[in-house]
Amino acid sequence: MKRKRKNFKKRKTNSLNKLSLFQKSDSKFNRPCPLSIKNAPIIDYKNISLLKKYISENNKILSSKITSVSSGKQKKLTKEIKKAKILGLI
Amino acid sequence: MSFYENTLITKQDLPKSELDKIKEKYNKLINNSSGKVIKIEEWGLLNLARKIKKYKKGFYIHYKFEGNEKTLNEINKKIKIDGSVIRYLIVKYKNLDTKKEYFQKGKLDEKKA
Repeated sequence: MKRKRKNFKKRKTNSLNKLSLFQKSDSKFNRPCPLSIKNAPIIDYKNISLLKKYISENNKILSSKITSVSSGKQKKLTKEIKKAKILGLI
Repeated sequence: MSFYENTLITKQDLPKSELDKIKEKYNKLINNSSGKVIKIEEWGLLNLARKIKKYKKGFYIHYKFEGNEKTLNEINKKIKIDGSVIRYLIVKYKNLDTKKEYFQKGKLDEKKA
């Protein structure tokens, strides 16, 4: 039991391990774009399961700051989401 | 010539015989006006996200076709007159991929769950 607790504490400290206040932690920021990897899913107005990930509860489009989508892909996403809204799919 | 996708939403309370008529009507329309239908998909009855013209559900029909300005003009004219079509969308594409069908997969998943 004691060993398990020790391991748990270590992990917690690792994520918040900073030398100074102004140092950016690597894990939280600078995430790569999830839609420009190899074998990324196709952005299309028929692919609703993908589009629903980038929409808030009130059917608003989430900003790329939150989702870390690249600017080119974000433009495509907004166009496709608006098409899906016209057809009443979302 | 370029590729297009056309989706129609019809009223929910139509009988099957009329749905087939609508399906054939637009198939003939595209083929007669210097176009070519590549594929027809039926997505079936789906729930609309919000009410469209007082309807909660709609029957979706999806066309993939090749055509030019003439075909688009005629489709737009006919759909505007047609009372049984609630809403439609025409999208231009450079390349059509006819293999993927997003809505048949979704149906299967729902049945399993």
